[in-house]
Amino acid sequence: MKKKKMLLSTETMDVDFVRKVEALSGTSVRRCFQCGKCSAGCPMATFMEHPPNRVVRLLQLGQWQRILAGRSIWYCASCETCSTRCPNKVHLASIMDALRKLSWDAEGPSKESYVQLANRLFLQNIRTYGRQYEMRLAAVFNVKSGQFLKDLMLGPKLITKGKLKMFHQKNKNMTEIEKIFGRIEEMRRNGEAL
Amino acid sequence: MTSRNTLSYAYYPGCSLHASAGEYDLSTRELFRKLGIGLTEVPDWFCCGATPAHNVDELLSLSLCAKNMELAEKVGGDLAVACAACFSRLKTTQHVLSENDVKRKQVEKAIDAPVPMKGNVKHLLDILARDLGLDRLKQAVTKPLAGLKVACYYGCLLTRPTDVPNLDCVEAPTIMEDVLKAVGAETVAWSHRLECCGANFTLSRPGVVIQLSHAILDSAKEAGADCIMVACPLCHGNLDIRQEEIEGVYDTRYAMPVFYITQLVGLATGLGADKLGLDALIVNPMPLLKEKQLL
Repeated sequence: MKKKKMLLSTETMDVDFVRKVEALSGTSVRRCFQCGKCSAGCPMATFMEHPPNRVVRLLQLGQWQRILAGRSIWYCASCETCSTRCPNKVHLASIMDALRKLSWDAEGPSKESYVQLANRLFLQNIRTYGRQYEMRLAAVFNVKSGQFLKDLMLGPKLITKGKLKMFHQKNKNMTEIEKIFGRIEEMRRNGEAL
Repeated sequence: MTSRNTLSYAYYPGCSLHASAGEYDLSTRELFRKLGIGLTEVPDWFCCGATPAHNVDELLSLSLCAKNMELAEKVGGDLAVACAACFSRLKTTQHVLSENDVKRKQVEKAIDAPVPMKGNVKHLLDILARDLGLDRLKQAVTKPLAGLKVACYYGCLLTRPTDVPNLDCVEAPTIMEDVLKAVGAETVAWSHRLECCGANFTLSRPGVVIQLSHAILDSAKEAGADCIMVACPLCHGNLDIRQEEIEGVYDTRYAMPVFYITQLVGLATGLGADKLGLDALIVNPMPLLKEKQLL
């Protein structure tokens, strides 16, 4: 693999962003001493261009743009193996959540669009139905991602086993859920919440 | 505290149990009825937000879970949760909001109600192993699962996060094995019981799920297991529904039935296949159960 030289200067080391990550995640980035235990246990490390310990190292160096430009944070399965095993109590799973939130809010330049699309549809389903509507989730995902035939073979199998409900009952209390979404948006507009 | 003979809970099934994991819901209700444990479904519960919500919006995730706890308070008692993901989210929310005043105030503003902190969030395993107790569970067994070798699969979320007071030891849990041994089954020692199956990448990146779930199925087979037992609808989807696909990709054959915990325990208490939703499993468990004379 070709190695790119990393240049560090006060301009490339954006520490403000890192402070935001620390505030959001409630964990310290600086505590990490690069033992690599997180990456050793990470089931998704092989799919990432920056394995978990390198994500933290890049944060320590203020090189967060490199993280957001890649797909690593979206390939984290939130299994929390990293946080569980960290010998120095760096809660890496929370750092990943914080990075995703900041990338999400900025409509970040990530390469990983499918995972983001799945997340977006999942949250939309909650807002529209109050609960997940699995069949709709899968169907809309396939249409929007342009993979019309994805998992087509699973469909009949699931329907005959009664696993895909053709009709979905909306939660009766939809105004409640809409209010929660609305209040959170308002709190963010007023700067009361991150 | 609930008295010895009147265990009763507010029940939070979660979205999957009302759709793709209907057999988990059915077997849970039937088993608990058989054991004399009361379950009252939380009225008008909402989705807990699962992984996608906390992935990009922690406040939303906490608020959705807190709203559900508020709804559960109408039923009263501890909250019984079947899905490992819902369990992890609800448990985490309760912990975070009891420790962090700033976040609690934000959440209370978002749901426009005080966050109830009285009831505990309990997984079904916790209720079976500790509230009911293994001794009383043993007494309820009419058909011990003798000779059935089970790989108990915890996956990620049943015992994590690590900083939240939790179900069992995070790196070496035994609660699933304890419950299964109490109903007469054998459990195998295997390497992948805490490894991730790929979880919700099943929608966005199925290739990931196929690779990770293949390793889990392989490990269970190598350990000589007859079947796998899970406590999570997503693990079940990945290991059961996608099993044929995985066999195709890796040119191998497992035919490894994947049961929910309540299905196996239910079987031992004498519940029939129809009450446990065994026909809803994709990998047909009937040949195995007939061979072991359990049906």
